[in-house]
This record gives sequence, C-alpha cells and structure tokens, in this order.
Amino acid sequence: MKELVEFIVKSLVDNPDEVRVYATEDRSETTLELSVAADDMGRVIGKNGRVINSIRTLVQVSAAKEGKRVNLEVLEADRD
Amino acid sequence: MGQKVVETKGSDVEAAIQAGLAQLGLSRDAVEIEVLDEGSRGLLGIGARNAQVRLTAQIADQPVVDKPVVETPAVVKAPIAEPVVSKSPPKSEPAPKMVKTAVPVEEDEETIAAREEEQAAAVEIVTDLLERMHVDASLTTSLSEPDDVTGRIINILEIHGDDLSTLIGPRGDTLNALQYISRLMVGHKLRTRAGFVIDVEGYRQRREQALARLADRMARKVAKRKRAMSLEPMPPHERRIIHMTLRDDKYVYTESIGEGNRRKVKIIPKRS
Repeated sequence: MKELVEFIVKSLVDNPDEVRVYATEDRSETTLELSVAADDMGRVIGKNGRVINSIRTLVQVSAAKEGKRVNLEVLEADRD
Repeated sequence: MGQKVVETKGSDVEAAIQAGLAQLGLSRDAVEIEVLDEGSRGLLGIGARNAQVRLTAQIADQPVVDKPVVETPAVVKAPIAEPVVSKSPPKSEPAPKMVKTAVPVEEDEETIAAREEEQAAAVEIVTDLLERMHVDASLTTSLSEPDDVTGRIINILEIHGDDLSTLIGPRGDTLNALQYISRLMVGHKLRTRAGFVIDVEGYRQRREQALARLADRMARKVAKRKRAMSLEPMPPHERRIIHMTLRDDKYVYTESIGEGNRRKVKIIPKRS
C-alpha cells in the first residue's frame, strides 16, 4: 500500500524526492501519512480533495485484498 | 462545365462520402465517387485507418459573378427540421437516410502522434498501477468512435481479468478514481491533458446502455405527468449520456443542476 501511494504521488508532483510516506500498522488498520513539498500540496489534494480522495479509493482496493482498512492522511507541510 | 473536386476522410467509406457530399452541398447522384482508400478498422484499434474518397462534381458554368466568395465551399448545415408551419400533407416518401455521423474531423498527423504517445504512456502507467494494487489483470487498447459532436477520437484502455468487480466499485467509483488518477499521472508525464478512457470488462458500455434506457424511461414518465424529474447525481460523462440520449426528444429537454459531485440531470417537459 505504501508503495502504491508513493508511486502515484511521485508521478503527480514536481518534487518527487520530497515525497515521504510513513506507515503505521495495527492488527486491522494501516495508517499512511503522506508528506510532500509545500508547493505540491495543492496537486496532491486537488480541488475539493478530489485527488487525495481518488488515491484513497485506490489504496482501499489493495487494502481490502489484505482484509485491512487503511487511513491515508496528508501531513501539513512546513513552510519555512 | 467546370469541375469541383473534394477529397474527404471518414471512419468508413460511407462516412467519408457523406462528409464529402456535405462539403459540396450536393446529393449522391450529382457526383462521381472514387474510393481512394477503403480504410481499415484495425485490430483493437491498432492499425486502424480512415477511409478516403474523392468526389468529383460536374458543375454547369454559372454566369461569372465577380464575387470570389462563390468559390468558398459553403459550410453546409445539416438540414434542420423546420418548424412545421405549412399545412401540407406529410410527405409519404421515406425520409432520406441522413447518416447521423458528425462530419468526421480531419485528423492531422500531430493529433494522431499525440494520441499514440498518450496511449503508450497510459499503458505503462496503468500497468504499473494495477501491479502495485495487486490486481491481476491484462490490458488491451482501442480507439473510440469519433465523438458525435466534436469528431474527436480517443484512446480506450480495457482491463481484463477475473473478478474485477472491486476495480469497478459502487457505481463505478473505483474505476472513475483509477481513470482520474492515471489521467493525471499521464498528463503530468507528458505535460499535457490526458483524455483516455479506462474500462473494465465492458462496464462502461453496459452502463452507457443502462443510462440510455433510464433516460428514455424517465422522459416518458416526465412527458406523461408533465412534471420535471431529477435523476440521481452522476459524474459528467454519465450526465452527458443522458443529455445526448434526449437531445432530440419532442416532449422533454434536459438540464444539469447542482454543484460538484451533487450535480444531476433534470428532465423537464417541453411546453406544448
């Protein structure tokens, strides 16, 4: 799941090197936290969250195959 | 006697001829038809080629009017049914079989090259995506028919495999997400906007037929009750199918209302 999110997000942003996905798992649920360059936030979230919601939908498909639930959150970007 | 020659292309010979006749504004028996290329559907859209014809019209020399405009090939509008005003009895002869193809848009090499580039990138990206989603499936590609209105031909990627219902999702949600994301990825890679369609085991086609039937059914209901009805919210391409199905309907017309993903089609009775 982590690889899927990384693969999608890196193909959508201008700064693929700054894409990080942190995964924490417990028995039934995986939480994925995504961080991207501040400039890429808009691209990853999309208008009305359309992009991130579509990514969530796709990750759910592969999570369901493992009998798990998945949460995908976008971490607030640090603006220095 | 002068001659007027046009060469036109179309998805098949008949479409090419119709396009030529429309351009000349002449009927079939007024021209000589030469088939330059019969075209080919290709296999799964690979190697598909448009048909090409040359039409030659003998034109009686007209008194030369010094208006250069005369030579401009008139933009021939499709005969629009005129509002019936006269009381003349309905014509008994069968209506001329108007082929309802949009005048095929000539595709230049640039358009074709861009589409091929998009297809290659889309196949690569969707294959990678499915692999990472652990979906065991294969891909085939094809081309759409020219769009009714724009004449545009687009790439179609068809996904085949066992038990792909999870890839379609409720009302096609997952399929739409897959298409949306992979279009963005391809668009980002090629620095353009990607417009290909992804289908899973003919789902979109079945859905399209179901929507057309739904549109007809609801239209009859609206016409009978003389009261507008709204359908449930739908994505843009599905709303478009409803609009297109009912665009020539005598008794109802359609509108889209609402915002964002709550947008839906309203079917409204025409005032008689």
